[in-house]
Amino acid sequence: MTERRIKSRMLSSFLHDPSALLGSVILVIFLMATLLAPLITPQDPYDLKKLTLESFLKPPLWMEGGQAPFLLGTDDQGRDILSTIIYGCRTSLIVGFGVVVLAGTFGVAIGLLAGYYGKWLDTVTMRLADTFFSFSTTLLAFLLLGIFKHGGILVVILAICIADWVRYARTMRGSVLQVKEEAYVMAAKATGAGDLRLLLRHILPNAIPPIFVIVAVDLAVVIMLEATLSFLGVGVPVTEPSLGMMIAIGKNYVYAGKWWMIVFPGGALVFLVVGINLFADWLREELNPKIERRG
Amino acid sequence: MATYVARRLIQAVVVLLAVSLICFCIFRYLGDPVISMAGLYATFQEREEVRRVFGLDKPTYVQYGLFVWNAAHGNFGKSFVSRVPALPLILERFPATFELATCAVCIAFVVGVGLGVLVSLRPYSAKSRLIMAASLGGISIPTFLTGILLIMVFSVMVGILPSYGRGNTIQLGFWRTGLLTLDGIKHLILPACTLASYQLAVLLRLTRAGMREVLAEEYIKTAWAKGLPPRKVIFKHALRNVMIPVVTITGLQFGELLAFSIVTETIYQWPGMGNLLLTSIYENDQPVIVTYIMLASLIIITLNTIVDILYAILNPKIRYD
Amino acid sequence: MKKLLFLLLFGLLTVALVGYTMAAAPTSIIVAQDDSPAMMNPYGDDSDANLQYMANFFDGLVQRKGADGTLAPALAEKWERVDALTWKFYLRKNVKFHNGNPFTAEDVKFSFERTANPEVSQFVNFGKSLESVQVVDDYTVVVKTKTPIPWFVNNMHQLFIMDKESTEKRDAGDVMVKPIGTGAYKLEEWVKGSYVKMVANEDYWEGAPLIKKVEIRPISESSTRFAALASGQVDMLTGVPLELYDQVVADKKLEVVTRPARRSIFLVMGSKPGSPLADVRVRKAMYMAINEDEIIEKLMRGHAKPAAQIPDPPTVGYNGELKRLPYDPEGAKKLLKEAGYEKGFTVTLTGPTDRYIMDKQICEAAAKYLAKVGIEVKLDLKPKAIFFPEVGQGKLEMYLLGWFDGTYDMGRTYAKLVHSRDLDKGYGELNGAFFSDAGIDKVIESTATMLDLKERTKTLQQLNKTAMVDQIYCIPLHYQVDIYALQKAKAINFKPRPDRWMVYKEISFAK
Repeated sequence: MTERRIKSRMLSSFLHDPSALLGSVILVIFLMATLLAPLITPQDPYDLKKLTLESFLKPPLWMEGGQAPFLLGTDDQGRDILSTIIYGCRTSLIVGFGVVVLAGTFGVAIGLLAGYYGKWLDTVTMRLADTFFSFSTTLLAFLLLGIFKHGGILVVILAICIADWVRYARTMRGSVLQVKEEAYVMAAKATGAGDLRLLLRHILPNAIPPIFVIVAVDLAVVIMLEATLSFLGVGVPVTEPSLGMMIAIGKNYVYAGKWWMIVFPGGALVFLVVGINLFADWLREELNPKIERRG
Repeated sequence: MATYVARRLIQAVVVLLAVSLICFCIFRYLGDPVISMAGLYATFQEREEVRRVFGLDKPTYVQYGLFVWNAAHGNFGKSFVSRVPALPLILERFPATFELATCAVCIAFVVGVGLGVLVSLRPYSAKSRLIMAASLGGISIPTFLTGILLIMVFSVMVGILPSYGRGNTIQLGFWRTGLLTLDGIKHLILPACTLASYQLAVLLRLTRAGMREVLAEEYIKTAWAKGLPPRKVIFKHALRNVMIPVVTITGLQFGELLAFSIVTETIYQWPGMGNLLLTSIYENDQPVIVTYIMLASLIIITLNTIVDILYAILNPKIRYD
Repeated sequence: MKKLLFLLLFGLLTVALVGYTMAAAPTSIIVAQDDSPAMMNPYGDDSDANLQYMANFFDGLVQRKGADGTLAPALAEKWERVDALTWKFYLRKNVKFHNGNPFTAEDVKFSFERTANPEVSQFVNFGKSLESVQVVDDYTVVVKTKTPIPWFVNNMHQLFIMDKESTEKRDAGDVMVKPIGTGAYKLEEWVKGSYVKMVANEDYWEGAPLIKKVEIRPISESSTRFAALASGQVDMLTGVPLELYDQVVADKKLEVVTRPARRSIFLVMGSKPGSPLADVRVRKAMYMAINEDEIIEKLMRGHAKPAAQIPDPPTVGYNGELKRLPYDPEGAKKLLKEAGYEKGFTVTLTGPTDRYIMDKQICEAAAKYLAKVGIEVKLDLKPKAIFFPEVGQGKLEMYLLGWFDGTYDMGRTYAKLVHSRDLDKGYGELNGAFFSDAGIDKVIESTATMLDLKERTKTLQQLNKTAMVDQIYCIPLHYQVDIYALQKAKAINFKPRPDRWMVYKEISFAK
């Protein structure tokens, strides 16, 4: 099939799949909200000059005691829940994309080289990858951040990257192993193409499709991981908004009946991740040749 | 074969040593534990003496050498906080974590794979779609959120299940178990379900995907055509082939299990190893943190090496890698 | 017939199970405390959290009793100061340790000398201050200190006496988990992370305690702790979290007991030359910029008393004349302008996140108030295990601290906190932000040898005034309030101690 045909088939399948559309719509809403954050939020929750303790622990607007403009209520410092959620999603997405881009680039590069050149490079990197993989991203990130405490968003991203590159490297390597035996690659080699040209022009574009699925899945995983780390207190510093930290604060108020401090941030987090997963599921189906398709 | 095993074992030892070196270096250069050890009212001289007594003033390589030598003998130093040897301190919490993790894995496996099989039989029925939608939710809710929500519903609102601790436990020799008392089992329910939830959803989806692939294979179609009863087809043929990747992944997810048990134990105040690790991190109790990392590494690497060797036994092609 | 028997057995079992899981019988009590014991070695941990457990298993030479914390005889019936360096203790006779060994002066000598050993003790400071411990006879001990220490006996209630014979015989690990003291309670069982079970010592020299069995469940998570009380699983709660105070009051089955704490909370400012904080006017402006009333009302839910100084009323050096500066942001801005900081400046505020009530939130609120007068605050909040060592290193700009001195004497507090850092001489170890004033230093040093109480009181009061009013060493905020909750139905007679220790021989049932 030609590239154009593949693309148009994917597009039509996308437009006809309700869950994929739903997922993408959710994602777009979140992205827009976080990008436009300063314009749409009623309050910048971390601008110290504007906060007062007067408006603390207010319930959502539609309940008794609610106060405008705090649509979803406030937390114990007087921060508007809705605004903090939007800024918290921004942090989640920054960490998510940060890890995906950094770990992805690094992992793909390693996988590409390991798969192509093979031999000792392959053995060493794959053994290393195995070791990192067996410790699992969550555990490694947790231990690293627990040891190197409070370093800022960049440290969080790096800590997660240290374990996360493995899934990209492995998948890429597997994909490269397949592609490099294909006819057109052999042909290009026969016509005297140099290694670099081969790698970048022929192997990379053809080996990369499985990575797209990994990117989507990984984004969801990293966002949840950031929330977990922040909840435990080893994630982003307390001065940065984070959905995980909001839930940690709200947990203490559950028995006091102030449920909005958990339910709304929790709901936002789940929505975001569900959206990503819907999209990832559709992508995985599209790129997998083995399943029997219905209709 | 022998060379393969030897190579894997050597690799395992190398990794362990590397981990120990990294741990040691990190802690050597991170903060000064003497200040918290000598007490809040100690003078400068008194702190220096504490430093001497605990051997914290010797050169780095000497300290590392001592560390490895001691570690090989099971001596990981004493906890800064409770002044007792670190390794027994962690190990005495092992039963709690083990019981929790095992229950969670059983729940996740039985329910996850079971539902996965059921769903793959009738993939487009209403019930199946509902279960799949739920599983999508399952992989989208982080463990800590699941825990909090379960506590909110079952402990705060309805009030039928306890939300902290292990309850009444019975000591059998060195193993303290909560499985022999009704109270202990009641305390186990919510944490085990929380820990299991994510894995359950993953296994469900994995099983279903695997089954779908296998059920589309030729030999399955042949079995259908031959008129074999459905149960035989599924359990004897399809499921067995799906199990290999499923079990492998479950086995290799030990690191994930450890990590998520930390979260679960913290939320439910479960007195296990993960809880100890978190409090040790807050209190900067280096010996305990290092011991935990070494212990976790040892278990993970051992598991991996065993799995690799088993694979090599089952699949001769790998040996000549 | 068989069926009937079976049914009966089953019924009995159920009743037994139900009865077992119900709350404890009237001579025992189940308490949820917010601190868990670190070890059963009474010297290994100098925090109040651990010491209160020790106070149940051990006795010191002296004790502080109940609601007002007055110093009273314990294992020493009488004591006297012989001269500036020497103290003589007359010990109580016919006291036995839990293992039957008699209590004698040898045990006192052993215990005191043990405190100097850093491997087993965090009270190294005390141990090293001793010149000698002399056993005159079985019931008389003479202690000589290296330098005069006016408050020497005042915090001996924290130093518990161990049994020489068994401590020397047992290995270190056993000492860490099994306490053998003369105290009102014996340890029945300690399951780390789960519970501590104590049983009354019927042969206790002061008379057997009224509550025969105590089970303590340490639950550090405040909302979980509250849930344990609300669901009836425990009879009493220490450390009621402020955010749940209204719930506790609203619950008809529960009763609240509060007590003003000794601990005061304050913001320490450095005076490093060259920094904006070096100017007294700037420090004064920052003081005036903090709206403490709102902090007490909103953050502390009214459960705090405004403070104008660090020591509390019973402490020597407390100066009743001192008053808080009123909240005046406009005045603050004027002062800043006068000092040349009209545009404001940046300062880093460091604070713990898990040590004092609402510590994190207080820091955040303080940052807000300072922002409103143009001072930009960078918040650096961290767990106490990292925070306190940083205070000890003295490199901070501004930090939150809470304090009360177990000796009821301000001298030691000021020597550690306010005196310039001079580690060789043993001053200023907890002066975390480079505060230094030569005049104050001189006065502090002069009180080190002042033994006459009247003279001490006058000097320390004057010192207090200088530090707080003239030099504005810190911004005092408030005194915390300790809040406890009880099951009304249990009719527990409980008067909280000023040091927040839970000493169970002081608690009884009203019925």
